[in-house]
Amino acid sequence: MIRYIWPTICLFLAAGIQGNLPISISIFGAMPDLVLVVLIAYALAQDPEFGVTLGFIAGLIHGCSVGLTVGSFIATRAITGFIAGLVSTRLFSENAIVPTFSVLWLTAVCGGLFQLFNPRLELSKVLGVLAGQCILNAIFTFLLYLAIRQFDNRRKNKLVNARL
Amino acid sequence: MFNFLRNKTITTLAVLVCLGMLIGFAQNRGLETGKSFFVQDAISSILAPIESAAHAVFGVGGWLKRVLRPTSSILKENARLREQVRSLQMDNARLREAAFENLSLRKALGLKQISPLKMTAAEVISHSESSWFDTATLNCGSRKGVEKGSAVFNHLGLIGQIVDIDPFTAQMVSLTDLDSAVGGTVQRSRCSGIVRGQGSEYLVLTYLPKDADVIANDIVVSSGMGKVIPKGLPIGRVVRVIRDTGGVTTSALIAPSVRFEQVETVFIAGIGQSAAQ
Repeated sequence: MIRYIWPTICLFLAAGIQGNLPISISIFGAMPDLVLVVLIAYALAQDPEFGVTLGFIAGLIHGCSVGLTVGSFIATRAITGFIAGLVSTRLFSENAIVPTFSVLWLTAVCGGLFQLFNPRLELSKVLGVLAGQCILNAIFTFLLYLAIRQFDNRRKNKLVNARL
Repeated sequence: MFNFLRNKTITTLAVLVCLGMLIGFAQNRGLETGKSFFVQDAISSILAPIESAAHAVFGVGGWLKRVLRPTSSILKENARLREQVRSLQMDNARLREAAFENLSLRKALGLKQISPLKMTAAEVISHSESSWFDTATLNCGSRKGVEKGSAVFNHLGLIGQIVDIDPFTAQMVSLTDLDSAVGGTVQRSRCSGIVRGQGSEYLVLTYLPKDADVIANDIVVSSGMGKVIPKGLPIGRVVRVIRDTGGVTTSALIAPSVRFEQVETVFIAGIGQSAAQ
């Protein structure tokens, strides 16, 4: 249970920030989905069961913040969390391209599933929004990954210096 | 054949997806019946302070942009606004005269008097939480008397409707959202139809008669049908008229009078106010 606490706090923070992102960063009418980025980032580093449960929590939080179609949000995020959990990136953890590319295609999968559960827009519009969201999510993941790695390196250096 | 069901993860996935569907069903029932859904209320209560804090942090950027503007642009804007105020003062005097005449005529004809709109001011603390919906969160809820279905508007016109409320916040859906629909009237010719969102920046006025008197630049206002949305709130301006040669109706593409993504402060009208202000 404890391992879900920090990711859940991060999901709440992401949902809070999500609605206040400046509109100028949108591409093809799409905004980055920070809740999905956090979900995939955590699920990639853990097992599928963790991904499913965190996906459920992410869907619930995101659905409630939007206020509509909570069920579609939960189902699609749970499935996306499961798929992300299956993808192991532990071997490539030093390479920022792998999580970035994983978020790119998993965003497409999640968006596609969401349209299956909840078809609303025309296909051309869906493809445009999906493309925009995939690009933005990938950029955010790349930046987030670099920031985390920088933070991690500093922490390791401090530990080494302390030992010396 | 069903060996994969023994896998704990697959079972968890199936159970959680089913649970998600049940929660979605319960939430939809809540939206239809007007009752609150406690799970959503609880999560919204946790999210509201985070959204307010994020709104305040991101608002600093806009404030800095305003403060650090060059003086020349402020002076230019000031001159333009003074000119606009003069023009609006003249319009106001003319409209007051018309309103007085309208009041006297309504009295003479024995019609019901127009009552002022009862409204609550609110701030948008979060918007466009998802790329698939045009929704926003407002910082006042049922404790301030906000009701589901209430109209949300500002000085420029109608913006949307309240779809869900909890004690401290309310969720509104914009007119531009695909699921949104309100009654609209062409102000000049009084032709009425339904204004629907398209999930894009334009709205569409549908179900107009085939020979409807509607032209580009006509103003469309809320019709007040159903007595949920107050009558006479500006919705937008006609951009293009689409006459269906084979069909029996005409529709019109409308540019909304309010850009949803730029809205910061709004008013929420009480339900059941049928008269225009």
